[in-house]
Amino acid sequence: MTIDFFAALLVAAVSLAAPLLITALGELISETAGVLNISIEAMMLVGAFTGVVGASLTGNLWVAFLCAILGGLVVALLQGTASFHFRANQIVTGIVLNILALGATTFLLMSVLGSGVGKAVTLDRVAIPVLSEIPVVGRALFNQNIVAYLAFLLVPLVWWTLDRTAFGLQLRSVGEHPVAAASLGINVLVTRWVALLICGGLGGVGGGLLTLGGLGVFTPNITAGRGFIALAAVVFGRWRPVGTLVAVMLFSVADAFQIRAQALGIAVPYQLLVALPYIVTILALVMFVSKMRPPSALGSN
Amino acid sequence: MLAPLTRAGRLGEGVVVPLVSVALALGSVAAVLAIIGADPTRVFQSMFGAAAGDLRGLATTVVKAMPRLLAALGIAIAIRANLWNIGAEGQIYVSATAATAVVMMMPDLPLLIVPIVAMAAGVAAGAVWGAIPGLLRAKRGISEVITSLMLVYVAIQLTRYMLEGPWAVPRATFPATEPFEQYARLPIIVPGTLLNAGALVAIAAVVAAWFIVDRTRFGLDLRAAGGNERAAATLGVPVSRVIIGTMALSGAFAGLAGAVEVLGIRGRLIDGFSPGFGFEAIAVALLGRLHPVGMVGAALLFGGLDAGGAGLQTSITGVSSAIVTVAAGLSVLYVLFGQGIVERAAARRRTRAALRDADRGQAADQLDERSGEADPSAGPGSSTPKGSPDAPSRSRMGGPSGAGEVSFIRSELEGSADP
Repeated sequence: MTIDFFAALLVAAVSLAAPLLITALGELISETAGVLNISIEAMMLVGAFTGVVGASLTGNLWVAFLCAILGGLVVALLQGTASFHFRANQIVTGIVLNILALGATTFLLMSVLGSGVGKAVTLDRVAIPVLSEIPVVGRALFNQNIVAYLAFLLVPLVWWTLDRTAFGLQLRSVGEHPVAAASLGINVLVTRWVALLICGGLGGVGGGLLTLGGLGVFTPNITAGRGFIALAAVVFGRWRPVGTLVAVMLFSVADAFQIRAQALGIAVPYQLLVALPYIVTILALVMFVSKMRPPSALGSN
Repeated sequence: MLAPLTRAGRLGEGVVVPLVSVALALGSVAAVLAIIGADPTRVFQSMFGAAAGDLRGLATTVVKAMPRLLAALGIAIAIRANLWNIGAEGQIYVSATAATAVVMMMPDLPLLIVPIVAMAAGVAAGAVWGAIPGLLRAKRGISEVITSLMLVYVAIQLTRYMLEGPWAVPRATFPATEPFEQYARLPIIVPGTLLNAGALVAIAAVVAAWFIVDRTRFGLDLRAAGGNERAAATLGVPVSRVIIGTMALSGAFAGLAGAVEVLGIRGRLIDGFSPGFGFEAIAVALLGRLHPVGMVGAALLFGGLDAGGAGLQTSITGVSSAIVTVAAGLSVLYVLFGQGIVERAAARRRTRAALRDADRGQAADQLDERSGEADPSAGPGSSTPKGSPDAPSRSRMGGPSGAGEVSFIRSELEGSADP
């Protein structure tokens, strides 16, 4: 366990955290407005898929991320239409959309794109001069791709929006007490739609970053529960942006540790290491969850 | 496990909506096939031929339906208690692994002792894996939705560890045990097909699930807890114990699915042997409206699609069996929309009736009834989602909210959606 190990661990952790963080912040906005969005996993998965498709068709990463956003938005539209307008249970809708997204992306990958979907263009790392030279943390924090920087800048932005703007107050009031919000003239339905669509867009970007910030390939179920880990990060982060960041970093360090530990050939079965982020997620919830208070109207239609 | 669909008015929601949804889902799949250049008629013909064309095909359909049905029974039981066991996939894996461990340890014994003991071990392992999220939910208020799913990935890694570690077969091309000896397997009951004694287990499981939920004290408690937890607690239902017990029971049925798959169908433990049975089972439970007959029908439908899809991969290239998952997801999505339409029409009828009565000066009484429209036996996708309002949620993810508030929001939403 040398300083090099920690430096490498940090680099991996920050890279792994970025997609999770964008997704978790989207879920945070959605849940703040009282929309329990289980389909976040589907948003990520579809975004990861459409992002890769966009990148390999056009070779342009901006178009690719636009595709990823659109992919996430499609899921959000289905989630909102079913649960807001057709009054389906939010959890049921989310679970169903996750199944559908898993099937649809796998099917499209295998039958439409076939093996033809090769490696897509991926995001380059952009080193920030001087700062990236800082020992140990420099490479981790200041040598990331552009979307990863945006992910971390999103934390103060979301905090400011939720805590300091009228729109943030509107979101919170709709999540805490929709009746009171409605009596003050706030349109509950529209507010929740906006929150859900923001969540869909961010979930799509998170998924896109997963593939385009990594190897540029899509494999079936590439998200492997990451949307649910983002969901857990929001709970563990007590519905606060900074808390969510801390939770995301905790899970990402666990994820990075398993990758680095495997690379070093540590004498622990690698399967246990792969399971580590999931176990850490459960343990984090077990140890810290009892003091939390979610938005009061979360999950209600 | 729902109240029998005999009452007038429930038939539309209970039977017609799922059937129309399935038809629409298959139609959508056909449209997608046409778009990607496959001939839908030929694909469906080929699928139908493989799934139901002969005895072999029918047997394959039943065999493919079994794990989906067994896991769906467990999921349905949990839903009745307002619990979401979305980790059946993980329970299937631990069960298969535990059953394999028993097979590895036991000598050649007569009278199916080995598969029976192995099945019991699988059920126990599934129950434990299901009880963990139940325990965390009951004692710490942690959403079982997150924890049960996290445990899926832990279970898959556990299975992989056993296959690549202690049970590793030298020079194997992929992680799997050697095929089990005949004495360790569930016997084939229709010679020349894959149909094995697991089908009998599945039939017994359907009856057992119905009996437990509808005819035992525990079933009464779990339905009470699922309906309104606070009221149930007031009436002396040990809610914590019921939550843990229900999740364990739910896991036990998923465990049965894993054990039957490995002992009856595969005859060995293979890495990644479940193509998402546990997730499709959620669709089976919802599409079957939690009703035993409905779930058997839904499982046979998806089993048939799987059996047919397996034939496709060889006959028509490029059309993969992931289409089953698509069809499963689409059918339930359409059910959600269909239920919404049916309910909205019913609400409109009630409003009109209330308005008519209002002319006769009875408006107040009728309108009051509207907020109590919820049918206590309605499924989770219906107008009174069990995850929300009228059943104050235990989960930290679904905070408590008053029923009055919710009916207000609902009418608010409905009003804006349907001006």
